[in-house]
Amino acid sequence: MRRYVFRRFIVAVPSLLIASLIVFTLPRLIPGDVVQLMFEEKSYAKDIEEMRAKLGLDRPIAVQYVEWLGRVVRGDLGESLWTRQSVVDELGRRLPVTALLGFEALAVAILIGVPIGIIAAVRQDGPLDFVARSAAILGLSIPAFVMAIVIILLPAIWWGWSPVSTFVRFSDDPAAYARQFALPATILGIASAAAIMRLTRGMLLEVLRQDYVRTAWAKGLRERTVVLKHSLKNAVIPVVTVLGLQVAQIAGGAVIVETIFGIPGMGQFLVEAILQRDYPVIQGINLLIVMIIVATNLAVDLTYALLDPRIRY
Amino acid sequence: MNSGVPDAVLTRRDLLKAVGVVTIAVTGPQLRSRPAEAQTPKRGGTLRTSVISDPVTGFDPHQTISFVTMVPLSFAYSRLVKVKAGPDVKPMTYPLEPDLAESWSRTDETTYVFKLRKGVRWHPKPPVNGRELTSDDVKYTYERFLSVKNNGNRPVLESVERIEAPDKYTVKFVLKEPNAWFLDNLASTSTWIIAKECVEKFGDLKKAESVVGTGPWMLERWEPNVRLHYVRNPNYFVPGLPYADAVDVLIDKDPSSRLAAFLAGKLDFAPEYQHVIRRLDLAVAKQRRPNLQTAEYAWFTSFSTGLKIDKPPFNDVRVRRALSRAVSLAEIHESNAFSQGQYVLNPAVPAASAEWSIPIDQLGPEGRKLYEFSTADARRLLTEAGHPNGFKTEVEAPGTGYGPDFLDAVQVTVKNWKAAGIDADLKLKEYGAFISSTIYGKFDHMFLGLRGAWTDPEAYFYRVYMPGQPLNVMNVNDPKLTEMIKLQRRTFDVPKRKQIIYDIQRYLAEQAYFGTNSSTKVVSAWEPHIKNYMPNNGFDYGGRMMAAWIDK
Repeated sequence: MRRYVFRRFIVAVPSLLIASLIVFTLPRLIPGDVVQLMFEEKSYAKDIEEMRAKLGLDRPIAVQYVEWLGRVVRGDLGESLWTRQSVVDELGRRLPVTALLGFEALAVAILIGVPIGIIAAVRQDGPLDFVARSAAILGLSIPAFVMAIVIILLPAIWWGWSPVSTFVRFSDDPAAYARQFALPATILGIASAAAIMRLTRGMLLEVLRQDYVRTAWAKGLRERTVVLKHSLKNAVIPVVTVLGLQVAQIAGGAVIVETIFGIPGMGQFLVEAILQRDYPVIQGINLLIVMIIVATNLAVDLTYALLDPRIRY
Repeated sequence: MNSGVPDAVLTRRDLLKAVGVVTIAVTGPQLRSRPAEAQTPKRGGTLRTSVISDPVTGFDPHQTISFVTMVPLSFAYSRLVKVKAGPDVKPMTYPLEPDLAESWSRTDETTYVFKLRKGVRWHPKPPVNGRELTSDDVKYTYERFLSVKNNGNRPVLESVERIEAPDKYTVKFVLKEPNAWFLDNLASTSTWIIAKECVEKFGDLKKAESVVGTGPWMLERWEPNVRLHYVRNPNYFVPGLPYADAVDVLIDKDPSSRLAAFLAGKLDFAPEYQHVIRRLDLAVAKQRRPNLQTAEYAWFTSFSTGLKIDKPPFNDVRVRRALSRAVSLAEIHESNAFSQGQYVLNPAVPAASAEWSIPIDQLGPEGRKLYEFSTADARRLLTEAGHPNGFKTEVEAPGTGYGPDFLDAVQVTVKNWKAAGIDADLKLKEYGAFISSTIYGKFDHMFLGLRGAWTDPEAYFYRVYMPGQPLNVMNVNDPKLTEMIKLQRRTFDVPKRKQIIYDIQRYLAEQAYFGTNSSTKVVSAWEPHIKNYMPNNGFDYGGRMMAAWIDK
């Protein structure tokens, strides 16, 4: 196991290097002289030469990349051109916000998706299954931003009540800080919950038809034991894979939900950075996202072994 | 020289006031607010308002012209003179009153002397730490204003030749030429007096920490994408003001969540620009917030069409007329959530400048026709101009920043043009890029944007049509027009100046130097517990909210 983990880390290194090269190169491939544009639009420097120097563009590209990578390894992602703050500090302020939102959304997705998927599978073609499947289709069909607007606006119109309030900082009120994510996380998690529910149902139905499950029934085991102890573990392995993919989906959805709910997380920051042509920040966020995706995939692979003892690395 | 306001200025102001009152009484806004009650103002509380964007352009008033910067600055800074605010000032009128200046005089046609209030102190914040404001600060501010590269508002004060500070409380402006609008220019919401120490410490004024002014509130905290929080300036130079202890400005880009916050009583003022509520939402707002106070008036804001007028096909007046005749302003406003069909027609000076905007029926015959929508006539004009099959072109517009209603209007315009044979390929740009490049002439054929930042009427023709002006992006160089613009600037007699400005507007319409446009008749709304408040056009939220108090 340890060897496997070590091997996976080693494999992750080239992935990260390739990703860093893409993250570094992409802004330089945008048509037109981006530096000229940034200078004219944003007045980030006194003159165009200072602008180039600020971005480190006054040296050969290979040198630039090696220097940039060296700084990244030392934890220095440069300075935001817009806010003039260290990119690491900026991300450090926003990452916990988005991470908590994403974590709560994932929790919502699991807590809704897995139990309902199990019930729908166990009560296949019954009324509960029908309702669950219909709800899942609805959850998958309605985009998060539509759901967010409806949930925000309708109570305000009907009852003069709005769930949205100004963002509370952790230092001001830790409980309110955590609470304020509940609604956006639910909205963000619902689409993922629908996907997880459908997959859990499908996989569980397949497992429930296996011989060893039939044997368990024949032994007279209780339904709970057959389903939760003997069937579910085998059924959820693909679900875990999908959960990994949901991380990326939730990260994408967070961009919109954060804007609607006024949550100052990474999603909003990325949008602002793109609009502001703040390339150090764009590079920093993209690199961070790549690292999170790589780490998530690693975590998913390791979870397989925990769920299924037959899987050995 | 006298120590008070000179007669010439008073006369003009008095006359404007009288004209304004008559105009408003006849055709002006219909105020729905309850009459000011004779109550003793209460101190304390927090005024809760919202803006639709972060100050993405930073906090330096000399490096942007954008409202997203100027509105937040209006709470914290002062200027020499300002547009008066309060319940006795009707929207669409812009009377001036002293701000940091105690008095002023015009000693000759090109010299203004201002006496500053004594004992005005900067916010008690580093690096200025509450020291006294002096004439050197004013001199430093306006010298920087005129010297910072990329200051889009430079034309506001470009008539200034030099600024002198003969003593601690006196500032003398010597102009290059007579400028009858100089006081109005100084009342612009770009002329905030800044502190030298902040520029020296921070390099420029883009950072929130550099917001140190002499205004009624101090910027205590900027949480990007969340809020701007201001607290009372204990040193504010007007005794007793501001009434509110604090101002909380919610930054919310989403119109639905802004509206929900207002309906839920989490904001004291309606959630759109200038505390406007969309007419689409007005009924539900009145139902949810009983006794809501409202005022109806015309926005300055309207479409701004940029054309490369020195190049074909736009160098042909018939093509320019066709562009206007092809657009149905009624269709634009019918589908607009703000106006729901309620709008006013704008000549070159928007109708929201009630004293200076010429009534459409007083334009010349060709000018009046511009406002008559006719696809057939537009096609005929194009045929006469040698484009029987129309032509293809490109139009740039900001894809962000002005909201969905603006984009709807752009789509209707492009559709109308296409029906007349003008096939304009729409290129959407990010707001920041648009505001800092396209509107300064970096476009190939046409652009559609918004205008309406200026409360002085001269800006609408001087800055747009005078040769050499950064915003003369159409490269208009028309000697007749230039002469008229110069003449009105030299004319201190208000009725005479008004006639010249009417002539300018007639000429601009005849030459179709601008796309016909219109402004929404908007409704501003605020909670019944907010007293002593009246909305108006312009970025000066802070100035208008300063005298408001909370009756709770």
